[in-house]
Amino acid sequence: MPCRVPSEHQAITKLSTCNNSTPGDVLSNVPAKQITRRTTGSSAALPATLDQDILTDASTAAAAENSFVHDVYNAIADHFSDTRYKPWPVVDGFLGSLPAGSLLADVGCGNGKYLGVNPSVMGIGCDRSDALIGICNNRGFESLVADNLSLPFRSGLFDAAISIAVIHHLVTEERRLAAMAEIVRLLRPGGRLLVFVWALEQDKFGSSNTTQDLFVPWKLRSSTPAATASVAPSTAQEPRVFNRFYHLFKSGELEMLASRLANVRVLRSGYDRDNWYIILERQ
Amino acid sequence: MRLLTHNLLQCHVKGCSTNNYPLRVEATNVVHKEADFNPEFITHMLQKIEWNALRTTASALGVAELPEILPLSMEGQEELLKQIHLVLMETHIMDGKLVCPGCSHEYLVTHGVGNMLLIEDEV
Repeated sequence: MPCRVPSEHQAITKLSTCNNSTPGDVLSNVPAKQITRRTTGSSAALPATLDQDILTDASTAAAAENSFVHDVYNAIADHFSDTRYKPWPVVDGFLGSLPAGSLLADVGCGNGKYLGVNPSVMGIGCDRSDALIGICNNRGFESLVADNLSLPFRSGLFDAAISIAVIHHLVTEERRLAAMAEIVRLLRPGGRLLVFVWALEQDKFGSSNTTQDLFVPWKLRSSTPAATASVAPSTAQEPRVFNRFYHLFKSGELEMLASRLANVRVLRSGYDRDNWYIILERQ
Repeated sequence: MRLLTHNLLQCHVKGCSTNNYPLRVEATNVVHKEADFNPEFITHMLQKIEWNALRTTASALGVAELPEILPLSMEGQEELLKQIHLVLMETHIMDGKLVCPGCSHEYLVTHGVGNMLLIEDEV
């Protein structure tokens, strides 16, 4: 199949594996600053080129996350959900260790795959994507639409919280820190938080990769009707490609963020399946 | 949205930090869905629940009339625990809105899903 991606996406055309016939995650190293964004559509607030300025300014940071995270997950929700069914062992272990009757917040719960892992726990999921929360709700999971930078819950009530593959979508260090602080706020003293993020060190990006901020294209299988039509180019025969922003965490970076949080101690941290993780306890 | 979840929610509009709880439920559709009764879980949840908020919400929705004051111990209080279970776990707000008593911000609930997102200026 020829790889015909509109000219706005030339940077991706050069660097991504567009001849890969498997839909879903297309793993390639596309530095964020090399991507030129589309100049059409509803995201006119963004400057024409996504560069480091975006990653340091709060309002443009939010706009970038809208275009390169929220809109994308809404558009790919059904397909994404179909690929997300296998829990990860460390997450399973954390959830399994919670006492019966615990109140759990899954912040950035996606399709809700962790909300049913431990049936003796009352889990409440939230996600920025209303399309993914719609899937959770259809599965009977308690969930609502919310932003992980401003959660609508009272403080100090949850026995545990998880944030799995979420804060690596935030474009600045301050926003990633703020997201962790906001989840810690929900925990009671002694409550625990597990955070998972994609690692810079994973093999699939190549050992020489040092670019932490990049786009990872998602190829939407052509049989899936997109929830929104405005976020990516499309032709009838080809999979549509959506770019998601990722910040890949370096070794020690989660611990560094945790050290800036008040009232937490690190219980455990480590590397699992291409991700760094950390378990914090609220003091 | 279960009334358990509603009891945990507060308005989070920027600057709205007093009189932001509980969100008033203006529901157009409330349904009852059976759920497994677990007395230990309900007892545990009572440490987290704002009793007055739960009581007034349950009464306003016509779901149950809960006592004004909880007994000191829930031991032997099976009937009360079942009533609380019905309110917390089996009563779902399906459609309507949650209104902040302080700033009057409205959060919509559609098909059982609450949308708690704020627009940029409100965060």
